[in-house]
Amino acid sequence: MTISAERPTKSVATSASPPTSRGVSWTQRPGWMSQHLGTAIVVAVLGYTFGHWLGNYITSGYPYIANSGQNAAANALALTFGVAGWLLGIGALNYPLAKLVGKEPEKDTPVDGWSKYFRYTLDHKVVGLQYVVGVLLFLFTGGLLAMAIRTELLSPTTHVFGPGTYIEIVSEHGTIMMMMATSIIVGPLGNYLIPLMIGSRRMAFPRIEAFSFWIFIAGYGVIFSALPYGGFPTGWTGYAPLQTQAGPGMISYLLGFAVIGLGMMAAGFNIAATIINCRAPGMTWSRVPIFVWSILATAALLTLATPTLFAAGLFGVLDKTVQTAFYVTEHGGSSYLWENLFWFFGHPEVYIMALPGFGIVAEILPVFTRKPLFAYKVAAAGMIGVALLSFFVWQHHLFQSGINPDMRPLFMLTTELISIPTGFIFLVGMGTLYRAKIRFEVPMLFAMAVFFNFLIGGVTGVFLSDVPVNVTVHGGFFVLSHFHYTIMGGLLFAFMAGLYYWLPKMTGRMMNKKLGQWHFWTMFVFFNLTFFPMFIIGLLGQPRRVFTYARNLTFLNDFSSISAFLLGFSFLIFFANLMWSMYIKPVKAPANPWDSLGLEWQTANPIPLYNFERIPVIMTDPYHYSEVDAPALADLGLSGPGAKASSSSGKSDKK
Amino acid sequence: MTDTSHNQKPFSETPEEVEYELRGQIGAIWSGGRLFIGMYTFLLASLAFSYFYLRAANNGLLWRPHNITAPTSYGWTIWTLSLVAAALVLFGQRRLRSGNVLDWQVAGWVGVACGLGALGAQIWEFTAVPFYPGSSGYASTFIGWSVINIGTLAVATYWLETTLARSLRMRKKSGGASPELATTASARLFRANVSSMTYFWGFVALSGALFLAMFYLL
Amino acid sequence: MNKDPNHLRRIFVITAVLSVAADLLYWFLAGPHIPPGRMTSTASSNQWDFNILMVIALPVLIGVWVFLGYTIANWSSKRASAPEPKGGAAARSNMKAQTLWIVITSVVVLFLAGFGTFELIIGDGSGGGEGPNPVWEPAGAAQAETAALTSSASWAPGKVLVVQVIAQQWKFTYRYPQFGGFESAQLILPNDTTVAFNVTSLDVIHSFWAYQLEVKADANPQENNVAFTTTKQLGQFTVRCSELCGLWHGAMYDFGKVETRSNFTNWATTTESANSANTADLPAFAWTYVPDANGAAGGYYPDGTVTPYSTVETYGAKQAAS
Ligand code: HEM
Ligand SMILES: [Cu+2]
Ligand SMILES: [Cu+2]
Repeated sequence: MTISAERPTKSVATSASPPTSRGVSWTQRPGWMSQHLGTAIVVAVLGYTFGHWLGNYITSGYPYIANSGQNAAANALALTFGVAGWLLGIGALNYPLAKLVGKEPEKDTPVDGWSKYFRYTLDHKVVGLQYVVGVLLFLFTGGLLAMAIRTELLSPTTHVFGPGTYIEIVSEHGTIMMMMATSIIVGPLGNYLIPLMIGSRRMAFPRIEAFSFWIFIAGYGVIFSALPYGGFPTGWTGYAPLQTQAGPGMISYLLGFAVIGLGMMAAGFNIAATIINCRAPGMTWSRVPIFVWSILATAALLTLATPTLFAAGLFGVLDKTVQTAFYVTEHGGSSYLWENLFWFFGHPEVYIMALPGFGIVAEILPVFTRKPLFAYKVAAAGMIGVALLSFFVWQHHLFQSGINPDMRPLFMLTTELISIPTGFIFLVGMGTLYRAKIRFEVPMLFAMAVFFNFLIGGVTGVFLSDVPVNVTVHGGFFVLSHFHYTIMGGLLFAFMAGLYYWLPKMTGRMMNKKLGQWHFWTMFVFFNLTFFPMFIIGLLGQPRRVFTYARNLTFLNDFSSISAFLLGFSFLIFFANLMWSMYIKPVKAPANPWDSLGLEWQTANPIPLYNFERIPVIMTDPYHYSEVDAPALADLGLSGPGAKASSSSGKSDKK
Repeated sequence: MTDTSHNQKPFSETPEEVEYELRGQIGAIWSGGRLFIGMYTFLLASLAFSYFYLRAANNGLLWRPHNITAPTSYGWTIWTLSLVAAALVLFGQRRLRSGNVLDWQVAGWVGVACGLGALGAQIWEFTAVPFYPGSSGYASTFIGWSVINIGTLAVATYWLETTLARSLRMRKKSGGASPELATTASARLFRANVSSMTYFWGFVALSGALFLAMFYLL
Repeated sequence: MNKDPNHLRRIFVITAVLSVAADLLYWFLAGPHIPPGRMTSTASSNQWDFNILMVIALPVLIGVWVFLGYTIANWSSKRASAPEPKGGAAARSNMKAQTLWIVITSVVVLFLAGFGTFELIIGDGSGGGEGPNPVWEPAGAAQAETAALTSSASWAPGKVLVVQVIAQQWKFTYRYPQFGGFESAQLILPNDTTVAFNVTSLDVIHSFWAYQLEVKADANPQENNVAFTTTKQLGQFTVRCSELCGLWHGAMYDFGKVETRSNFTNWATTTESANSANTADLPAFAWTYVPDANGAAGGYYPDGTVTPYSTVETYGAKQAAS
């Protein structure tokens, strides 16, 4: 059935809140009955304590393990019960439990004010903003750890930290950042924008969506629970047998990834189902915004690749608790097994961290160039192609490992093939920029920077995939620099572009432009000054994750460190801007500050609880910039002036 | 400023909109069910990969010394029970479609019993396993399979039980008729859910056969 | 409208000029100095590989940068003279440009894959770890490797030198099977000699990275990972561990030396006899070593008096198969 433009305007239901059986609702109970962050913490602590006790009780037959402070079983149970308690406390389990007796979801009224941000809220717009804060928490913690790493590397020999602390810092930094990067765009912007972009009033599975956020935050607790146990020594890659040898802090890593993995699967699952099923009438596959395509491809990777991470983590936990031998070569296991499982997940994971960034820049470019997106179909096909191919390249991380050495030419080929669809983003970007009229607003600056940075990241990726060159650069700072150029230079810059671009819609407040420009230029310059020297450092022979290095590399390392501190400073500017523009001196944002044609800008501000007053009927794609007689994007179903979404704003440049 | 609850325009829907969104929701349950099977396939494939990888590597000749095997009686019991549960669910769904709500109910609850039985047997098997978890590659992957299968059976049984409970409650609300077969929104969603659940049980039984062969028969 | 210059041609010409200049500068000024130098066959061939990639990459980088620069300079909304952009079908896609793009990137990428494979094969694995049974190996390596396990193994100038690299937390030691299997903390190699490194570990995964030799192979417990190179210059080189292996990974390095063949023979034979008592205590030379019951992984070699730790026996005997 389609909703025709000639639709009946008489409505059937009229209430302040949508009918809950169809999912748009959120939890609120007054006073002591309510569940929120506070109850979640309390129940989590109780669960943790209970689990810990239980672990020691179960192992009491092994006096050298029980109550030793080295009891991995106690740690595993403590964290499992802690996470379960957290979910129980926040209210994630209310409905799943009520379902056992056949209950329908409770009818809830929307909460006014800020307290809904601390609850198990089902509105995707609230979840999106929760995620903004969540990922920034990960990002800033990880960033502080990075500052610590660069401090240690100021000198080739003098040590600020002991080797144990240093390895702990490096491992926590890598892991926390990787966890953050899996969600940094899908979580905040994906959840917030997807329904608005596809003209939906709701997510397909709002409870699963809220679950993905709260378990993501639980993951933060889990990964840092390693610290009282002396951390874990393996870096984010967690290779066995070092993993097997490590203390109980390793459990936090394994369970942490499993927990974050659950959140990744949940987020991907909900988003994929939403994009497939909840598109507005007329929102055909050739009309969905390119950002939606990128998130769909990412969601596919999130749901299909993450189970492998989950399994790998589960086996690791079993190895360390019930003493199975999955990764113990002497007992019939194999340390290669971890490497294979981890990277089979790990490479799709790197595209989980790349595709959403592509989506953002491709979505933003047309707005600031006043041109349609160039080669839309190629872009969409490229994203799907990348997602598919990314399952077939994982052994390029293992070229020197001795695993399947005769397969190296094959994996070299697949890896280099994947750079074809990856390169499409440049075709799309350059085609869109060609003969454009570019407004260098802050989001556009970040988007342009993505092209600059990701080019370096992608080209060095091709260097890495050449097996002979890989002998030179594998395991060294060159790799480190490669993936910082792709993840930080690509994904993080794209995230910033997205934030500056969409925060006005999400919060109704403009980010300060001056501060934004300062933020951009400091971040861009010092990012490059920090990481470019690392290519050279790597070529000159410095391995990753070391605290001593050759004396002749002091200058380059110091240069990189000092740039890194200034890079850290640029994040302070960002933070100041956020505080200033959101809380201290908020400036009301115009309804459509960038003159975008995107559907997300056409709905009212503040966005109604149910996104669109009428389900919009989509009539074309959102890229008809600078077109004479451009068709209207959508019929928003409103009567009176403004019924049709504005279209050919190309001529009416506001400035 | 855009606190969404500040925009308190009353929510309203036309009948066409209601129908459109309902179809989306049904579609989401349908495709969500398939996607869930896809996710589970990757999870189980990781285990199967581990099994064959360790088997091929046979490190320290410790893939499977003395060709040790987990108690096959348990293996058969667990799998047979899950197969019966899957068959009952399928049968029940057929009957439900043709209007025999009672048959669906009975088959479903027996299915729950089978699911719980399989779950119990899978847990109880730990007491009867004749090897240490770390004694060989086979032993390790077997423990991995047991743990994953406990989760699988729990999820599948939970899914079945909740649909049955929902159908009981629907009945209680609308008093005796067969609300499961009505054209109301909740009934249509319910049937979509039953269909996805049936597929999942089929998947459990099928993948169970594969792992039965791998761990108990080969 | 007709006054609009041919932008693409301009961009192309600027790119071409800059690329040629950059490539030439790179090739003649930077290329010969690109790490890791030319101390071995793999070092120089991988340097050549790197330089070829660089010569291809530079025009790509320059092309995109020139394009971005040109865009910024000409099509900023701040420029009053900037023409109004045009939307519509022509701006949305361009069959020719898209096809050209896909064809060019595909050709480049396929060429690179072919080139890399070719270099890998003629480079006998290019100095990277090739697992226990190398598919591509230099002449004479197979015989030398096979002979290394027998007591009759010996080395003479011109033959392949077999060296075993044993990694453990947190140091490397080296065994020379062709010299009675003595173990040394020092890696000394003869010049003009093909070396087969057999890399293994006693505990966790390490990676043997002989930087100037351009050899890199992961050290895996109970696996042999073989890498080849041929020494070409005398001098000192660095060995670092390049896979995180725990607490002191950052301090796991040492230095080795390429000596003349006669100096090497002197050193090896002297050390062999000086160490003979120690060597007798070592386990027989093998590609991998399984730790025994007295040590955690990597604790001790089986020495004949302690029963090697065998889970087959430990568990198999206790538990009847059902
Ligand atoms: C043109 C596309 C790309 C190619 C050809 C490529 C190739 C490679 C190769 C061959 C390696 C292995 C290096 C080694 O350890 O020896 C690698 C590592 C890595 N790449 Fe890429 N890459 C590409 C894009 C990306 C993207 C888009 C991301 C993330 C957004 C990414 C993130 C990473 C990470 C995180 C690692 C290192 C993981 C680790 O060892 O900790 N790469 N890349
Ligand atoms: Cu990869
Ligand atoms: Cu190391």
